[in-house]
Amino acid sequence: MGDTTEFTWEQWFGVLLLAGVGVLILDVLRRLVVGDLGVSTFSTFLWRGLVDGLIIGLAAVGLSMTYSILRFANFSHGDLVTTGAFTGWTAAWLIGGAGVTGLGSRLLLNADGSTSARELNLHVYAEPVAIVAGLVIAAAATVLVALAIDKLVYKRMRDAGGIPLLIASVGVALALRYVIVFFYGERTRGIVRSSPSIDHSLLFWTDSLVVHELVMVVSAVSLMLGLHGLLQYTKLGTAMRAMADNKDLALITGIPTERVILATWVIGAGLTGVAGYLIVLEQETLNFNTGWFLLLLIFAAVILGGIGSIYGAIAGGLIIGLADNMMLVWISGDLTRVAAFLLMILIFIFRPQGLFGGVETA
Amino acid sequence: MLTVDGLDAGYGDLQVLHDIDLEVDSDEYVAIVGPNGAGKSTVMKSVFGLTTYMGGSVEFQSREISGRRPEEIITHSIGYVPQNDNVFPSLSVRENLEMGAYILDEVPEDALEDVFDRFPILRERQDQTAGSMSGGQQQMVAMGRALMLEPDLLLLDEPSAGLAPDLVSDMFDRVDAINDDGTAVLIVEQNAKETLGRCDRGYVLVGGENRYEDDGDALLGDEQVRRDFLGG
Repeated sequence: MGDTTEFTWEQWFGVLLLAGVGVLILDVLRRLVVGDLGVSTFSTFLWRGLVDGLIIGLAAVGLSMTYSILRFANFSHGDLVTTGAFTGWTAAWLIGGAGVTGLGSRLLLNADGSTSARELNLHVYAEPVAIVAGLVIAAAATVLVALAIDKLVYKRMRDAGGIPLLIASVGVALALRYVIVFFYGERTRGIVRSSPSIDHSLLFWTDSLVVHELVMVVSAVSLMLGLHGLLQYTKLGTAMRAMADNKDLALITGIPTERVILATWVIGAGLTGVAGYLIVLEQETLNFNTGWFLLLLIFAAVILGGIGSIYGAIAGGLIIGLADNMMLVWISGDLTRVAAFLLMILIFIFRPQGLFGGVETA
Repeated sequence: MLTVDGLDAGYGDLQVLHDIDLEVDSDEYVAIVGPNGAGKSTVMKSVFGLTTYMGGSVEFQSREISGRRPEEIITHSIGYVPQNDNVFPSLSVRENLEMGAYILDEVPEDALEDVFDRFPILRERQDQTAGSMSGGQQQMVAMGRALMLEPDLLLLDEPSAGLAPDLVSDMFDRVDAINDDGTAVLIVEQNAKETLGRCDRGYVLVGGENRYEDDGDALLGDEQVRRDFLGG
């Protein structure tokens, strides 16, 4: 950075921003010490921020991956989240609800309203096998759908440029969403029974820990670590980063670019499907707009982290999730999302390329 | 080893090269010089399958390779170092080199050692990202990557472009060394004097056509060539 005298105004702005965040952190500490803010309230906010942030981050990773390799903003990404949620939970209902209710209502996730989540009693203690099987199916089905779409649409326009691909992806988003509506209907339905809780306070100082949230956090963190290992320590991962760097050079180096694209869809869509599935595990309900409504937050995370950067997407998700929840210390719930997006805008003023943009990583 | 015969090539509908003849023997060091826009780089890209093939033949080690794709040509023992953007900036130096041998199942450790011996700075900085290195060092990474498959022919597109003046002759020394170790080199250069002084044979390309072909020193000595293309 050099001397303070050589700071550009953007850098000064960044310093101010960091100072502002620092003041807020100090204020939280003050409130904790004085007793204005209960330790358990504080850690609830923190935990909720972590839960939201990780799920947004996980969903954002897939978007960033396809961006970094294929160079277009995939607007159908939110509906891939929805695809994962519907397919995965259909599988979970088929397995977990066997004998409780009819095949038809399980196959269409209670589209006819003949049963309820309460009747199925689906939660992680009661039906662990069904829940895990659903997770795997969510990943597999989303991968298949993404590959089919790539073959039908995106592959034909591989070199068409970012804007035509973006427009095409908007069409894909609508098509995918209404295929889902065609089968499952528009109704919002309860999918999962309320989560059991762990009643001691080892982890974070909350009174109890929601098991489904814990499952979600553990799954998301393990998948992110797995992805990190793949990207950094395998030949495929290195090739993916190479291709994100420079597609033309990758081609003349002998990297099989179409195969890398295939792997990108498989991994990106798999993670996206799992994210959709886990969101439902946590929020317990599902409708055809679940992923679409999430897309704004996903894009915010991706752009905040630096579009195309996978680690940036995770960091961006965490910042959005944590800001959204921690702001409850100072302002009411209606305004926290405003605060989260305001923070995003402020960060852009001093780093328009995003936090991890132009630094490294795929 | 490489025989280009009556090659026509270009980009899309635009023909750039007209009836190009060119030869490189094993162990030879051949330069293509000429004014800007003469199609020097296009010759090299055409050998590597990166242009639109329009006629003629490109034969390498008695095998016709015209019209083949680069990912196939790379398996025929030809290495190519493009002029710009020739490293993966976010990958470490070592990863860049490993990517050079992507088509092999295992990283060839002896080829990697050879590259490190040839460019010791790369061994020293193998964990640094290529994008954080200087222009000259990036050029070494790019050459090293192309050498990982131990090619019989190395194509170098303007390796001295963008280098600080004091690094240029060092770079040419390294190309000499690669050639001395038995790799044929076909080089495209703006820096015609330096290149022609060092190479075995040179071609002067003008307007997408061969204009002169001779020993490097003979071309340097030719008054017509000097006056027209080498700036006196």
